[in-house]
Amino acid sequence: MSKFTIPKKARATMNNYALNKPGTEENKSLWSSIKKMLPLLREQKRRIIIATVAAFATSGLNLLAPILIGHAVDDYIQKGQYHGVLVYSAIIFGIYIGAVITSYFQTLLMGRVGQNVLFALRNSVFNTLGSLPVAFFNQNKAGDLISRINNDTDKLNQFFSQSLVQFFANIITIIGAAIFMLAVNWKIGLVAIIPALFLLGFTRILSPWIKHKNALSLKNIGGLSAEVSESIDNFKVVVAFDRRDYFKEKFKEVNEINYKSAISAGIANNTLTPTYGLASGIAQLSVIAYSITLISSGQFTLGLLISFLTYITRMYDPLRQMATVWSSFQIAFASWDRIHAILVLDSDLIHVSETKALSSAHVMEFKNVSFSYPGGKEVLHSVNFAFDHGKTYALVGPTGGGKTTTASLIARLYDPSEGVVLLDGRDIRSYDDSARAKKIGFILQEPFLFSGTVHENILYGNEEYSNLTNEELEKIIHDHGLEKLLERFDDRLDTAVTATGNGLSLGQKQLIAFIRAVLRRPELIILDEATANIDTVTEQLLEDILKKLPKETTLVIIAHRLNTIENADEIFFVNSGEVARAGSMQQAVDMLLHGKRQS
Amino acid sequence: MASPPAREQEKKTSSIVGFLKPYLWPIVGLASLAVTSSGIGLITPKIISRSIDAFIHGTFVMQTLLLEFGAVIIAVFVITYLQNIVQTFTSERVAKDLRNSIVDKVGNQSYEFVEKITPARLLTNLTSDIDSIKMLIGQAIASLISSVVIVIGAATILFTINWQLALAVLGIIPIIGGLFFFVFSRMRLLMKKSREVIDWLNKVINESVLGSALIRVLNSQGPEFDKFVKANTQAKDVGLQILRIFASLIPVITLVANLAMLVILMLGGHFVISGSMSLGDFAAFNSYIGLLIFPILVVGIMGNAISQAQASYDRIREVLDAKEDESNGTLKKELEGRIEFKEVNVKYGEKFALKDVSFEIEPHTKTAIIGPTAAGKSQALHLLTRLISPTSGAIKIDGQLITEYEASALHKQIGFVFQESVIFNLTLRENIAFGGVASESDLKKAIETAELDDFIATLPGGITTVISERGSSLSGGQKQRIMLARALTLNPKVLLLDDFTARVDNKTEQKIVSNLMANYPTLTLVSVTQKIAAIESYDKIILLMEGEVVASGTHKELLTCSPEYVQIYDSQKSTSNYE
Repeated sequence: MSKFTIPKKARATMNNYALNKPGTEENKSLWSSIKKMLPLLREQKRRIIIATVAAFATSGLNLLAPILIGHAVDDYIQKGQYHGVLVYSAIIFGIYIGAVITSYFQTLLMGRVGQNVLFALRNSVFNTLGSLPVAFFNQNKAGDLISRINNDTDKLNQFFSQSLVQFFANIITIIGAAIFMLAVNWKIGLVAIIPALFLLGFTRILSPWIKHKNALSLKNIGGLSAEVSESIDNFKVVVAFDRRDYFKEKFKEVNEINYKSAISAGIANNTLTPTYGLASGIAQLSVIAYSITLISSGQFTLGLLISFLTYITRMYDPLRQMATVWSSFQIAFASWDRIHAILVLDSDLIHVSETKALSSAHVMEFKNVSFSYPGGKEVLHSVNFAFDHGKTYALVGPTGGGKTTTASLIARLYDPSEGVVLLDGRDIRSYDDSARAKKIGFILQEPFLFSGTVHENILYGNEEYSNLTNEELEKIIHDHGLEKLLERFDDRLDTAVTATGNGLSLGQKQLIAFIRAVLRRPELIILDEATANIDTVTEQLLEDILKKLPKETTLVIIAHRLNTIENADEIFFVNSGEVARAGSMQQAVDMLLHGKRQS
Repeated sequence: MASPPAREQEKKTSSIVGFLKPYLWPIVGLASLAVTSSGIGLITPKIISRSIDAFIHGTFVMQTLLLEFGAVIIAVFVITYLQNIVQTFTSERVAKDLRNSIVDKVGNQSYEFVEKITPARLLTNLTSDIDSIKMLIGQAIASLISSVVIVIGAATILFTINWQLALAVLGIIPIIGGLFFFVFSRMRLLMKKSREVIDWLNKVINESVLGSALIRVLNSQGPEFDKFVKANTQAKDVGLQILRIFASLIPVITLVANLAMLVILMLGGHFVISGSMSLGDFAAFNSYIGLLIFPILVVGIMGNAISQAQASYDRIREVLDAKEDESNGTLKKELEGRIEFKEVNVKYGEKFALKDVSFEIEPHTKTAIIGPTAAGKSQALHLLTRLISPTSGAIKIDGQLITEYEASALHKQIGFVFQESVIFNLTLRENIAFGGVASESDLKKAIETAELDDFIATLPGGITTVISERGSSLSGGQKQRIMLARALTLNPKVLLLDDFTARVDNKTEQKIVSNLMANYPTLTLVSVTQKIAAIESYDKIILLMEGEVVASGTHKELLTCSPEYVQIYDSQKSTSNYE
């Protein structure tokens, strides 16, 4: 044990990033959802204000017409003066034209607000994803995560591009109609509005229930997608193990669960619509009944009754439309909550300021490093070791012993639970990401390729060579002695990489990862079983290439095949939370063959 | 989607109408509820106009109004509520049944089919395509029917009240209809474009999730974000294009509807003044026009929903109508393990993955297939389990073509350990006993053989611990050993290992091999591998290069007759020195 005292700045535990934690069933109010959205709307303030003005103008103009019609009926039609009717018609026509113009701008501006917010929202979701550590992706099922982001942003897309404009216009029309009615005759106005107030109360009472049902249904849809993806992506196994029936049965189960929750969500969503029709009917009936008594006593006119009936339609139709839009609203906010759950996450890989006291001459040093996965047992326990420039190190040990975890700590995919990792004598947490990435190359155990071409994948993340033509890249590959590897690809650099990457073998993918890492010329390269699926002849080629790397490059090789590590300067045996130095190759072999395994 | 509509009409089975046949009764019920509620709704303006006229003539009775009007609104409420419930049940039922039949169909398909049609596409079939069909039943059918009823009903009533005014006012219907037709034909193109952009966005997101570790190692979040912003900007542009159309459509439709009101005022006013129409009828005209406009819009929107549903249904139909693998045989006998490849070719496009491959494997022996990357080794194993089919040539087990065997009988006797680890989101026990029929002792034997006992002991829930899809807590080797145990629970007669040893350390590997020998003595083993040291004692080694068999024989034979083999052997020599 070293005598260092470690600054206990490092966090004791890693963040828990699981999004589907039990008991996080959202039960928050709509208002809290909207409040969370406000910061996104703030940038659009100017547009929203102009759109609001335009909307008020539109609804004002549109609502002015019925009252004019009412007056025309009372003053001219009932009195038989057709000239007055024509004058009023001309005025009303002018009003309609004005309404067309304001309504155009209102829709356009509000739509722009929606599109801009959606654009910003998508960007910030993606940005957040980029800022989160690997732990986040390991703790959440890829299928579920993808469904969450794709489906939920799509739902928000529908909301922002369609429902929002409609919703906004409707609200202003409703308010305008209410104001007009109260202004024309406040008593009858009140009679017309009261049913709408009851509706609002009713909606408020029901909406948490509706939201809850929709959230549940969305969750089950996610479960259904995850279930299907898992089986279809691994269809090979389903076929080879003759589990087609199992696949079908399992699907029927989740489908049934989904069916039930979709029905309760559907019934919840459809409860409001008929009620709105009912309220509108009651309003009409009460207004007619009340108006007629008032007209009999000379306090109201028939023409204004006709105007009022139009106003009721103008008020309750948008209300009913909103009830239809309401469900898409609820769905959008359920989606928004799920997206927001991602947006609030932040990286647990904090940046620390440089600590000079810890300096070391080694390229990489572990000081009393312990590590455990959330909820798991300790993988590394107070580990100490150091790597020097220009040397080759091998990490050996049984499967599950902690080799990949050690490598992940070197590349800072995780931070240690305790202790420090020093890169070039500085706390690795004090480097900014690009400086660290430049120094460390990590060829992962499971290679990942982006759809595109081999060319694009080789240069992926490589700023220096980013704009090379095929010829230029071929030359650079040649300079690094990698040209023979390209022969393994049918169309060399132009070989297509499909989205599933199924056209290429695992070995070919590993070759691309290898070329990619070498061309970046990092100070330290980690090869994590990076050649496991490559034939030994090609592998020897890779070894020659590694030998030609600049002298000061440090190599860390994780492998089971002993010949791949025979050139190592030092060998470390990783097992049961310890990283122990093996004196010689023979000792490492002995440890591997006979060492006690207590993992 | 591009196929001409005339052809769609011809093949009756592919029409979505044909598909809805089993749900005839719920749909008829739905339609009649919709017709009833909108029919009753049409009476309201009539009641109002009668009341106004009665009031003018001094014959108004409040009670009649309250009774009639009250009855109408309550009836409409009850019926629409019922209609909504029937709608929900029917549409979800259809969605459920359709999903189940897709999965049933896919479940019977070959692996090649699923790979060709791609898992992503199947997922779309099961989610968004189903959604648009659900939309058709849940909303389109009922609102279409009630809209048509309202439009025709209201128009008829208007004609009976005053046919001249009706004619003038109803001129709005073709105008709005024409506008819609024009706009939606342009909209369809934009919608398609928008769908493509969304697919693009999703692809970027998918890759950034699946490649998250690589992106962090290379610190390429910046370029990834640029990629995303490019797609996102495109999405916004398309969104704005659609918006511009909408922004002009809505005001114009409002204007047309308003002009109808104006016509009523001018022409209707004239009729009232000239005494050819009552004031009540004037009011009724106003109300009916209010009732008419929305349904006209609905017809337009729903027409679009129907064509979307048809397009979705066509895509689903493609999966449902796909020919099933009919080469399933009937043979069910117990396998001995004699394997024979005769002039087998596998061709992808112009390229041979396997070319003229012939070899024989004796039962109860151990055979290794070695060769460079992309030599066709895995394909040979895939052929044996019929995951892929040869372009030509014959593959036999125990002298019978493998197509003569019943597929499930074959799969129950051939264990396959794949190169990539596949872990399901199930308990460890379910993952291992994935073949389904394993007895307790089979399971125990398999776990013991795969050297998983120690690992299981460290898990908090032991064998009932749920392990996750991407298996972050599992090492590559642990996953591989779980895959092995999975294959062994079948008690297989033939065991296929695809690069099994690549991720398992030497010590464990040696133990596992000797366990295999001891616990499954009659096994016929075919192992694709890179390590010669481990297979020197095998009965046969087949060297594949560029899809062709370059040499085959025992280790000793190959050392004397195959220079390619010697080259590979030399490249690994140091390994054998240490082991």
